[in-house]
Amino acid sequence: MTTRDLALSALFAAIIIVLGLVPPIPLGFIPVPITLQSMGVMLAGCIIGAKRGALAYAIFVLLVAAGLPVLSGGRGGLAILMGPTGGYILGWIVAAFVTGFIAERLVREGQNEWRQLGGFFAASVIGGIVVLYAIGMPWVTASAGTPFYAVASGSLVFVPGDLLKAAITALAARAVLAGYPLLHRA
Amino acid sequence: MLSSLYVVGQGPLHRLSAGSKLAVLAIVGVGLFFIQSPWILAFAFALAVIVYLTVGLSLREALKRIRLTLYSLLFLMVLNLFFLPIAEVQVLALRFLALVFAAAAVTATTTLDAMMDVVNRLMRPLGRLGLIRQGDAGLTVGLCLRFVPEILARYHALVEAHKARGLKVRPLTLLGPLVILTLKQADDVAAAIDARGLRAARTTPRSSQSNERQIRS
Repeated sequence: MTTRDLALSALFAAIIIVLGLVPPIPLGFIPVPITLQSMGVMLAGCIIGAKRGALAYAIFVLLVAAGLPVLSGGRGGLAILMGPTGGYILGWIVAAFVTGFIAERLVREGQNEWRQLGGFFAASVIGGIVVLYAIGMPWVTASAGTPFYAVASGSLVFVPGDLLKAAITALAARAVLAGYPLLHRA
Repeated sequence: MLSSLYVVGQGPLHRLSAGSKLAVLAIVGVGLFFIQSPWILAFAFALAVIVYLTVGLSLREALKRIRLTLYSLLFLMVLNLFFLPIAEVQVLALRFLALVFAAAAVTATTTLDAMMDVVNRLMRPLGRLGLIRQGDAGLTVGLCLRFVPEILARYHALVEAHKARGLKVRPLTLLGPLVILTLKQADDVAAAIDARGLRAARTTPRSSQSNERQIRS
């Protein structure tokens, strides 16, 4: 871990906190505004890569556990980690890592724009949706006893919104890659 | 802006060390999953409620802090009623309620500094393996919290810039500049930390031994 890795991770964790403090932003083409913090896992992986993205989320989850109200809506504290959806919060660290791991391999500087967008989108979907749900849903079943098929079918409601967030992440990550590339730089 | 959920107080839970509170919470968290008796779980729940409500919070504030967790719990338990016998749902609900209240009590009685001490202690084996350096956990958390107000100010400046140009605030036009400006700053911060030698020197297992030898001789 270089000092640069630590600083990038720490400031990215601070961005994630800020995205939870500000009001949800409307997209323009759908009536529901989105909470930017919920895109944080995909953004972290796609912008600063696997290792630093996971570290940013480790810092963020640590602050949740330490009792700072850093989650959107001013939530925080050990009670949330102990609740039935605690698996999603711990899963963020793994999800950010997987998103970054895939993005680092699929996206190259100098590729054409569409391949970069496709790579970021695929990384966000696999890391930020598939992996995250693969950790969060069994956790709910194991802890709250709700049958897995009920949890899984209930979670389907969130998938369209998540896909939209993956698309926005891809666009934002490409803009950052063009303006200040960090994904592959040590 | 980011005030911790800690409440000032002098109760028995305040005086316990952070490490022992977290250890007890972890043990209770695991232990309760092996208990099937609704009576023992109800007792644990009642105990946790009493402990949480006596840490010095008003009832309203106390419930407000765990409201969202309680809602998600309520939702899952109502859902459970369709799939599981009532007795089992009762056990599951009591177990979670006990845990949530106990965890909220630990959060309300432990300062951020005390939590960070525990984290630094838990990280020590990683430091000995040479994976991180001593004090890295405190440094990164400190950096993160230090920059939250600045990034929030930057966010508001970007919103103002949108307004000044008659643009609507949209996630894409906001995230790009916010992230790029902040990460450029992160590079400056890293350079400044290295230039001033603020990070502890790398400690490897060998060098710490030789230090010990030097001290002894």
